[in-house]
Amino acid sequence: MNRYELLETLVPVLEDALVVCNIGIPSQELHAISDRDNHFYMLGSMGLCSSIGLGLALTTQKRVVALEGDGAVLMNLGTLATIGNRAPDNLILLIIDNGSYGSTGDQATYTSGETSLAAVARGAGSQKVIECPGEETAGVLADCLTARRAAVIVSRVAAGNRPLPVVPLHPIVLRERFRQSIRK
Amino acid sequence: MSSSVSTQLLTNLKAGGCDFFVSVPCKLLAGQIQLLEKDSDICYLPVTREEEGFGLCAGASLAGRLPCILMQDSGLGNSINAIKSLIQFFQLPVVMLMSYRGSPGEPVPAQVPMGVLVPELLKLLQIPAIHCHQPADLAEIRPLVDHARVAESAVAILIDFQLMEGEI
Ligand SMILES: [Mg+2]
Repeated sequence: MNRYELLETLVPVLEDALVVCNIGIPSQELHAISDRDNHFYMLGSMGLCSSIGLGLALTTQKRVVALEGDGAVLMNLGTLATIGNRAPDNLILLIIDNGSYGSTGDQATYTSGETSLAAVARGAGSQKVIECPGEETAGVLADCLTARRAAVIVSRVAAGNRPLPVVPLHPIVLRERFRQSIRK
Repeated sequence: MSSSVSTQLLTNLKAGGCDFFVSVPCKLLAGQIQLLEKDSDICYLPVTREEEGFGLCAGASLAGRLPCILMQDSGLGNSINAIKSLIQFFQLPVVMLMSYRGSPGEPVPAQVPMGVLVPELLKLLQIPAIHCHQPADLAEIRPLVDHARVAESAVAILIDFQLMEGEI
């Protein structure tokens, strides 16, 4: 299972959550599978998906799922300490770990070597950290959403991307429809 | 005697509507950080790095809050991509309260090379900014905070050594 196939299984589970999606191909794939108002596709600022998700979770009652990548988390590792200490119950950080910088030519990340992001998340203070294969992730995510407790999920999938165009949405259109979905 | 500069700063920010605060510490901002830690009217948390802070501010801003990031001016260098490709690209209002390290009064030589760039860098980044030297300048904060909301923009407040002299 690769990221695209994983996202296909996650979309039905994500319908009632606010979803912040990592920059690049992850956003392009999510957009192609299902483009919904509750999706905030990052169009820039690699590494900040989990931080945007934390800011949202602290200021809304809705459940927030930050769909992160392994390379992006490695770029902003401090986020795991902030989340480990201050994540509210409505935040789920879901790291799609394919051991690869998928949007830039599939260079290997250090998670394909010695680094375990689940271990880093635990060490950084998160109490509920679940590492699972992609095939089990939709079920794990559904359970976490029901439990209403902060969680970090590290979903292991194979590298590989769908060739897709850049997300064709104007940033202000995206911002406004996402804001409306927060208010719903 | 009027209240401390730190208290006035915070009062002005809150009067303008700031209700979500993150900080990367600076000794010039230590007084405000202490006040924020005790303030139950607002949401406050420390972050590990400035660009992470801009990410949190973006999330809060999407949810309709008016966020404020407390940081050293040196942190502007760590944040340029986040400011341009997130905050300004999506037109999200954020108030930046920045200690003006590297300006006259600065005891640490290494703060100077970045500090001298900051006013021009803010201009280049098209971030409306004010510079607070003395307590009377604090009256400019409220209109600037309003402007952040109207312009859907980041705005910056530079706080210098002279102003914080009595509090460090
Ligand atoms: Mg990856």
